[in-house]
Amino acid sequence: MNLFVLYLLLLKATLTSVSGLGSLPMVRQDFVVTRHVLTDHQLNMAVVAGRTGPGPYGIYLVCVAYAVGGVWGAIVGLLATITPAFLVIPLMHWVGAHAGKPRVRGAVQGLMLASAGLLLFASVPLARDAIVGPLTLILALASFAAITFTRLESMWVMFAAAAVGLIARMFV
Amino acid sequence: MAQATWPFFWFGNTTFGGGYITMIVLGRELVDRLKWITRQDFELAFALARVTPGTNIIAFCAAVGKILRGWAGAFSAVIAVTMPSAALAVLLMQGFDSWQGRPRVMAALAATVAAVTGAMWSTVWMLTRPHVGKWKQTCRAVVFMGGAFGAARLGVTPVPIILGALIFGYLWPPQPNEPEGSGERAG
Repeated sequence: MNLFVLYLLLLKATLTSVSGLGSLPMVRQDFVVTRHVLTDHQLNMAVVAGRTGPGPYGIYLVCVAYAVGGVWGAIVGLLATITPAFLVIPLMHWVGAHAGKPRVRGAVQGLMLASAGLLLFASVPLARDAIVGPLTLILALASFAAITFTRLESMWVMFAAAAVGLIARMFV
Repeated sequence: MAQATWPFFWFGNTTFGGGYITMIVLGRELVDRLKWITRQDFELAFALARVTPGTNIIAFCAAVGKILRGWAGAFSAVIAVTMPSAALAVLLMQGFDSWQGRPRVMAALAATVAAVTGAMWSTVWMLTRPHVGKWKQTCRAVVFMGGAFGAARLGVTPVPIILGALIFGYLWPPQPNEPEGSGERAG
Protein backbone atom coordinates (compact mmCIF):
# COMPACT_ATOMS: atom_id res chain seq x y z
CA MET A 1 0.00 0.00 0.00
CA ASN A 2 1.18 3.53 -0.84
CA LEU A 3 2.57 5.16 2.32
CA PHE A 4 0.76 8.44 1.69
CA VAL A 5 -2.57 6.60 1.36
CA LEU A 6 -1.71 4.68 4.54
CA TYR A 7 -1.04 7.99 6.33
CA LEU A 8 -4.32 9.50 5.12
CA LEU A 9 -6.37 6.46 6.12
CA LEU A 10 -4.82 6.37 9.61
CA LEU A 11 -5.20 10.13 9.96
CA LYS A 12 -8.87 9.87 9.02
CA ALA A 13 -9.28 7.22 11.75
CA THR A 14 -7.53 9.31 14.43
CA LEU A 15 -9.28 12.56 13.47
CA THR A 16 -12.70 10.96 13.84
CA SER A 17 -12.12 9.55 17.33
CA VAL A 18 -11.45 11.06 20.74
CA SER A 19 -9.83 8.11 22.48
CA GLY A 20 -7.01 5.65 21.84
CA LEU A 21 -9.15 2.74 20.71
CA GLY A 22 -12.01 4.89 19.41
CA SER A 23 -10.58 4.64 15.91
CA LEU A 24 -10.83 0.84 15.86
CA PRO A 25 -14.17 0.50 13.96
CA MET A 26 -12.94 2.79 11.18
CA VAL A 27 -9.56 1.04 10.97
CA ARG A 28 -11.28 -2.33 10.66
CA GLN A 29 -13.63 -1.01 7.99
CA ASP A 30 -10.81 0.53 5.90
CA PHE A 31 -8.05 -2.05 6.28
CA VAL A 32 -9.86 -5.36 6.86
CA VAL A 33 -13.26 -5.04 5.19
CA THR A 34 -12.70 -2.62 2.28
CA ARG A 35 -9.04 -2.99 1.26
CA HIS A 36 -8.21 -6.48 2.60
CA VAL A 37 -4.65 -5.47 3.53
CA LEU A 38 -5.03 -6.78 7.09
CA THR A 39 -6.77 -9.79 8.65
CA ASP A 40 -8.91 -9.64 11.79
CA HIS A 41 -6.25 -11.71 13.56
CA GLN A 42 -3.52 -9.18 12.69
CA LEU A 43 -5.76 -6.33 13.82
CA ASN A 44 -6.47 -8.17 17.06
CA MET A 45 -2.75 -8.72 17.68
CA ALA A 46 -2.09 -5.02 17.05
CA VAL A 47 -4.76 -4.04 19.61
CA VAL A 48 -3.44 -6.52 22.19
CA ALA A 49 0.13 -5.23 21.67
CA GLY A 50 -1.07 -1.64 22.11
CA ARG A 51 -2.96 -2.50 25.29
CA THR A 52 -0.42 -4.81 26.88
CA GLY A 53 2.63 -2.57 26.69
CA PRO A 54 3.10 0.74 28.49
CA GLY A 55 2.13 4.03 26.85
CA PRO A 56 -0.95 5.19 24.94
CA TYR A 57 -3.48 2.61 23.69
CA GLY A 58 -3.60 4.59 20.43
CA ILE A 59 -0.14 3.23 19.68
CA TYR A 60 -1.90 0.14 18.29
CA LEU A 61 -2.17 2.18 15.07
CA VAL A 62 1.62 1.95 14.70
CA CYS A 63 1.30 -1.85 14.89
CA VAL A 64 -1.46 -1.73 12.27
CA ALA A 65 0.76 0.39 10.03
CA TYR A 66 3.71 -1.94 10.65
CA ALA A 67 1.63 -4.95 9.64
CA VAL A 68 0.60 -3.15 6.43
CA GLY A 69 3.82 -1.35 5.45
CA GLY A 70 6.75 -2.68 7.50
CA VAL A 71 9.17 -0.29 9.22
CA TRP A 72 8.33 2.69 6.96
CA GLY A 73 4.67 1.92 7.54
CA ALA A 74 5.28 2.07 11.32
CA ILE A 75 6.94 5.49 10.97
CA VAL A 76 3.99 6.74 8.90
CA GLY A 77 1.65 5.23 11.51
CA LEU A 78 3.42 7.10 14.29
CA LEU A 79 3.13 10.37 12.35
CA ALA A 80 -0.59 9.80 11.76
CA THR A 81 -1.07 9.01 15.47
CA ILE A 82 0.62 12.17 16.72
CA THR A 83 -0.56 14.70 14.08
CA PRO A 84 -4.03 15.43 15.57
CA ALA A 85 -2.54 15.93 19.06
CA PHE A 86 -1.17 19.35 18.07
CA LEU A 87 -4.73 20.63 17.52
CA VAL A 88 -4.85 20.97 21.31
CA ILE A 89 -2.42 23.93 21.20
CA PRO A 90 -4.65 26.50 19.42
CA LEU A 91 -7.52 25.15 21.53
CA MET A 92 -5.45 25.71 24.67
CA HIS A 93 -4.54 29.23 23.56
CA TRP A 94 -8.18 30.12 22.97
CA VAL A 95 -9.67 28.49 26.09
CA GLY A 96 -6.65 29.30 28.29
CA ALA A 97 -7.35 33.03 27.98
CA HIS A 98 -10.65 32.44 29.81
CA ALA A 99 -9.47 29.67 32.15
CA GLY A 100 -9.86 31.75 35.32
CA LYS A 101 -13.57 32.40 34.78
CA PRO A 102 -15.81 30.36 37.10
CA ARG A 103 -17.98 29.07 34.26
CA VAL A 104 -14.95 27.86 32.26
CA ARG A 105 -13.56 26.24 35.42
CA GLY A 106 -16.97 24.65 35.92
CA ALA A 107 -16.91 23.22 32.39
CA VAL A 108 -13.39 21.84 32.90
CA GLN A 109 -14.29 20.31 36.27
CA GLY A 110 -17.50 18.85 34.84
CA LEU A 111 -15.46 17.18 32.14
CA MET A 112 -12.94 15.81 34.66
CA LEU A 113 -15.70 14.29 36.77
CA ALA A 114 -17.56 12.89 33.76
CA SER A 115 -14.27 11.33 32.64
CA ALA A 116 -13.99 9.69 36.06
CA GLY A 117 -17.52 8.32 35.67
CA LEU A 118 -16.77 7.03 32.17
CA LEU A 119 -13.55 5.40 33.35
CA LEU A 120 -15.37 3.72 36.23
CA PHE A 121 -17.92 2.40 33.73
CA ALA A 122 -15.14 1.16 31.42
CA SER A 123 -13.48 -0.65 34.31
CA VAL A 124 -16.58 -2.80 34.95
CA PRO A 125 -16.23 -5.19 31.98
CA LEU A 126 -12.45 -5.18 32.36
CA ALA A 127 -12.80 -6.16 36.02
CA ARG A 128 -15.30 -8.88 35.08
CA ASP A 129 -12.75 -10.39 32.67
CA ALA A 130 -9.67 -9.83 34.80
CA ILE A 131 -10.91 -10.81 38.26
CA VAL A 132 -11.49 -14.52 38.02
CA GLY A 133 -10.60 -15.66 41.53
CA PRO A 134 -9.27 -14.61 44.95
CA LEU A 135 -5.71 -14.07 43.69
CA THR A 136 -6.69 -11.67 40.88
CA LEU A 137 -9.07 -9.84 43.26
CA ILE A 138 -6.24 -9.37 45.76
CA LEU A 139 -3.92 -8.20 42.97
CA ALA A 140 -6.47 -5.63 41.75
CA LEU A 141 -7.07 -4.27 45.29
CA ALA A 142 -3.36 -4.25 46.12
CA SER A 143 -2.62 -2.42 42.86
CA PHE A 144 -5.31 0.17 43.69
CA ALA A 145 -3.87 0.73 47.17
CA ALA A 146 -0.24 0.85 46.01
CA ILE A 147 -0.85 3.38 43.24
CA THR A 148 -3.31 5.53 45.21
CA PHE A 149 -1.71 5.70 48.63
CA THR A 150 2.02 5.32 47.93
CA ARG A 151 4.47 6.98 45.54
CA LEU A 152 5.29 3.64 43.94
CA GLU A 153 5.45 3.86 40.15
CA SER A 154 2.84 1.80 38.34
CA MET A 155 5.55 -0.01 36.37
CA TRP A 156 6.80 -1.70 39.56
CA VAL A 157 3.25 -2.56 40.59
CA MET A 158 2.70 -4.25 37.20
CA PHE A 159 6.00 -6.13 37.41
CA ALA A 160 5.16 -7.29 40.94
CA ALA A 161 1.72 -8.48 39.78
CA ALA A 162 3.28 -10.36 36.85
CA ALA A 163 5.79 -11.99 39.22
CA VAL A 164 3.00 -13.05 41.61
CA GLY A 165 1.01 -14.48 38.67
CA LEU A 166 4.05 -16.37 37.45
CA ILE A 167 4.89 -17.78 40.89
CA ALA A 168 1.27 -18.77 41.48
CA ARG A 169 1.24 -20.61 38.13
CA MET A 170 4.42 -22.47 39.06
CA PHE A 171 3.38 -23.55 42.56
CA VAL A 172 -0.42 -23.74 42.59
CA MET B 1 14.89 20.79 27.16
CA ALA B 2 16.06 17.27 28.00
CA GLN B 3 15.18 17.87 31.65
CA ALA B 4 11.70 19.08 30.73
CA THR B 5 11.15 16.10 28.43
CA TRP B 6 12.32 13.48 30.91
CA PRO B 7 9.01 13.03 32.86
CA PHE B 8 7.13 12.45 29.57
CA PHE B 9 9.70 9.89 28.46
CA TRP B 10 9.84 8.06 31.79
CA PHE B 11 6.23 8.10 33.00
CA GLY B 12 4.79 7.92 29.47
CA ASN B 13 6.67 4.73 28.71
CA THR B 14 6.58 2.98 32.06
CA THR B 15 2.93 3.47 33.04
CA PHE B 16 0.61 0.62 32.14
CA GLY B 17 -3.14 0.85 31.69
CA GLY B 18 -3.62 3.54 29.05
CA GLY B 19 -3.83 7.29 28.71
CA TYR B 20 -5.97 8.22 31.72
CA ILE B 21 -3.61 6.56 34.15
CA THR B 22 -0.57 8.08 32.45
CA MET B 23 -2.13 11.57 32.56
CA ILE B 24 -2.86 11.20 36.28
CA VAL B 25 0.63 9.89 37.03
CA LEU B 26 2.17 12.74 35.00
CA GLY B 27 -0.12 15.21 36.78
CA ARG B 28 0.97 13.90 40.18
CA GLU B 29 4.59 14.32 39.13
CA LEU B 30 4.35 17.72 37.37
CA VAL B 31 1.87 19.38 39.76
CA ASP B 32 2.52 17.85 43.18
CA ARG B 33 6.18 16.86 43.12
CA LEU B 34 8.02 19.02 40.56
CA LYS B 35 5.54 21.95 40.72
CA TRP B 36 6.25 22.81 37.08
CA ILE B 37 2.58 23.48 36.31
CA THR B 38 -0.42 24.48 38.41
CA ARG B 39 -3.39 22.21 39.07
CA GLN B 40 -5.47 24.55 36.88
CA ASP B 41 -2.98 24.13 34.01
CA PHE B 42 -3.17 20.37 34.47
CA GLU B 43 -6.96 20.32 34.52
CA LEU B 44 -7.18 22.55 31.46
CA ALA B 45 -4.70 20.37 29.54
CA PHE B 46 -6.54 17.22 30.65
CA ALA B 47 -9.94 18.59 29.67
CA LEU B 48 -8.85 19.90 26.28
CA ALA B 49 -6.90 16.73 25.51
CA ARG B 50 -10.12 14.84 26.20
CA VAL B 51 -11.95 16.72 23.42
CA THR B 52 -9.06 16.85 20.93
CA PRO B 53 -9.34 14.26 18.13
CA GLY B 54 -6.99 11.30 18.44
CA THR B 55 -5.27 9.83 21.47
CA ASN B 56 -5.90 11.89 24.65
CA ILE B 57 -2.54 11.34 26.34
CA ILE B 58 -0.61 12.49 23.26
CA ALA B 59 -2.65 15.69 23.10
CA PHE B 60 -2.18 16.10 26.85
CA CYS B 61 1.62 15.88 26.44
CA ALA B 62 1.51 18.37 23.55
CA ALA B 63 -0.46 20.81 25.73
CA VAL B 64 1.77 20.46 28.81
CA GLY B 65 4.94 20.52 26.67
CA LYS B 66 3.71 23.77 25.10
CA ILE B 67 3.11 25.28 28.56
CA LEU B 68 6.61 24.30 29.67
CA ARG B 69 8.78 25.05 26.61
CA GLY B 70 6.65 26.33 23.72
CA TRP B 71 6.29 24.48 20.40
CA ALA B 72 9.64 22.71 20.78
CA GLY B 73 8.51 21.45 24.20
CA ALA B 74 5.23 20.22 22.71
CA PHE B 75 6.98 18.34 19.93
CA SER B 76 9.63 16.76 22.16
CA ALA B 77 7.05 15.72 24.77
CA VAL B 78 4.95 14.02 22.08
CA ILE B 79 7.95 12.20 20.60
CA ALA B 80 9.19 11.20 24.07
CA VAL B 81 5.85 9.70 25.04
CA THR B 82 5.13 7.85 21.79
CA MET B 83 8.31 6.64 20.13
CA PRO B 84 9.66 4.15 22.71
CA SER B 85 6.23 2.63 23.46
CA ALA B 86 5.52 2.38 19.70
CA ALA B 87 8.75 0.45 19.17
CA LEU B 88 7.92 -1.80 22.13
CA ALA B 89 4.38 -2.40 20.85
CA VAL B 90 5.71 -3.52 17.47
CA LEU B 91 8.12 -5.92 19.22
CA LEU B 92 5.30 -7.22 21.45
CA MET B 93 3.11 -7.84 18.40
CA GLN B 94 5.85 -9.94 16.87
CA GLY B 95 6.22 -11.92 20.11
CA PHE B 96 2.55 -12.66 20.82
CA ASP B 97 2.08 -15.49 18.35
CA SER B 98 4.94 -17.46 19.87
CA TRP B 99 3.97 -16.65 23.50
CA GLN B 100 0.36 -17.75 23.28
CA GLY B 101 1.18 -21.42 23.85
CA ARG B 102 3.15 -20.68 27.05
CA PRO B 103 0.97 -20.92 30.18
CA ARG B 104 3.46 -19.15 32.47
CA VAL B 105 3.62 -16.09 30.22
CA MET B 106 -0.16 -16.05 29.93
CA ALA B 107 -0.47 -16.32 33.76
CA ALA B 108 1.85 -13.33 34.18
CA LEU B 109 -0.19 -11.37 31.60
CA ALA B 110 -3.49 -12.26 33.36
CA ALA B 111 -2.05 -11.02 36.68
CA THR B 112 -0.94 -7.79 35.00
CA VAL B 113 -4.44 -7.24 33.57
CA ALA B 114 -5.88 -7.63 37.11
CA ALA B 115 -3.39 -5.03 38.38
CA VAL B 116 -4.37 -2.69 35.52
CA THR B 117 -7.97 -2.89 36.80
CA GLY B 118 -6.76 -1.68 40.19
CA ALA B 119 -4.81 1.08 38.47
CA MET B 120 -8.01 2.20 36.70
CA TRP B 121 -9.86 2.43 40.04
CA SER B 122 -6.95 4.43 41.38
CA THR B 123 -7.25 6.84 38.45
CA VAL B 124 -10.98 7.30 39.14
CA TRP B 125 -10.12 8.11 42.75
CA MET B 126 -7.41 10.61 41.80
CA LEU B 127 -9.62 12.34 39.22
CA THR B 128 -12.43 12.70 41.74
CA ARG B 129 -10.53 13.53 44.93
CA PRO B 130 -9.74 17.23 44.18
CA HIS B 131 -13.44 17.91 43.60
CA VAL B 132 -14.75 16.29 46.77
CA GLY B 133 -14.84 18.20 50.05
CA LYS B 134 -17.67 20.41 51.24
CA TRP B 135 -21.21 19.03 51.01
CA LYS B 136 -22.25 21.04 47.92
CA GLN B 137 -18.96 20.33 46.17
CA THR B 138 -19.33 16.60 46.83
CA CYS B 139 -22.93 16.64 45.57
CA ARG B 140 -21.76 18.29 42.37
CA ALA B 141 -19.07 15.63 41.91
CA VAL B 142 -21.57 12.82 42.50
CA VAL B 143 -24.04 14.31 39.99
CA PHE B 144 -21.42 14.67 37.22
CA MET B 145 -19.74 11.34 37.84
CA GLY B 146 -22.94 9.41 38.43
CA GLY B 147 -24.58 11.07 35.43
CA ALA B 148 -21.72 10.06 33.14
CA PHE B 149 -21.70 6.51 34.53
CA GLY B 150 -25.47 6.21 34.19
CA ALA B 151 -25.51 7.63 30.66
CA ALA B 152 -22.76 5.22 29.59
CA ARG B 153 -24.73 2.37 31.13
CA LEU B 154 -27.76 3.41 29.07
CA GLY B 155 -25.62 3.10 25.93
CA VAL B 156 -24.80 6.77 25.29
CA THR B 157 -21.39 7.07 23.59
CA PRO B 158 -18.56 9.06 25.30
CA VAL B 159 -18.61 12.08 22.94
CA PRO B 160 -22.14 13.31 23.82
CA ILE B 161 -21.46 12.56 27.51
CA ILE B 162 -18.30 14.68 27.43
CA LEU B 163 -20.06 17.50 25.57
CA GLY B 164 -22.97 17.30 28.02
CA ALA B 165 -20.56 17.52 30.98
CA LEU B 166 -18.92 20.60 29.45
CA ILE B 167 -22.26 22.34 28.96
CA PHE B 168 -23.65 21.43 32.42
CA GLY B 169 -20.34 22.35 34.04
CA TYR B 170 -20.51 25.75 32.32
CA LEU B 171 -24.10 26.30 33.45
CA TRP B 172 -23.43 25.01 37.00
CA PRO B 173 -20.03 26.48 37.98
CA PRO B 174 -18.31 25.61 41.29
CA GLN B 175 -18.81 27.81 44.35
CA PRO B 176 -16.33 30.75 44.45
CA ASN B 177 -14.98 29.64 47.87
CA GLU B 178 -14.11 26.09 46.76
CA PRO B 179 -10.43 25.11 47.17
CA GLU B 180 -8.40 25.56 44.01
CA GLY B 181 -5.80 22.80 44.40
CA SER B 182 -2.10 23.31 44.83
CA GLY B 183 1.00 23.83 42.71
CA GLU B 184 2.75 26.89 41.31
CA ARG B 185 4.32 26.99 37.88
CA ALA B 186 8.07 26.81 38.09
CA GLY B 187 9.33 25.00 34.97
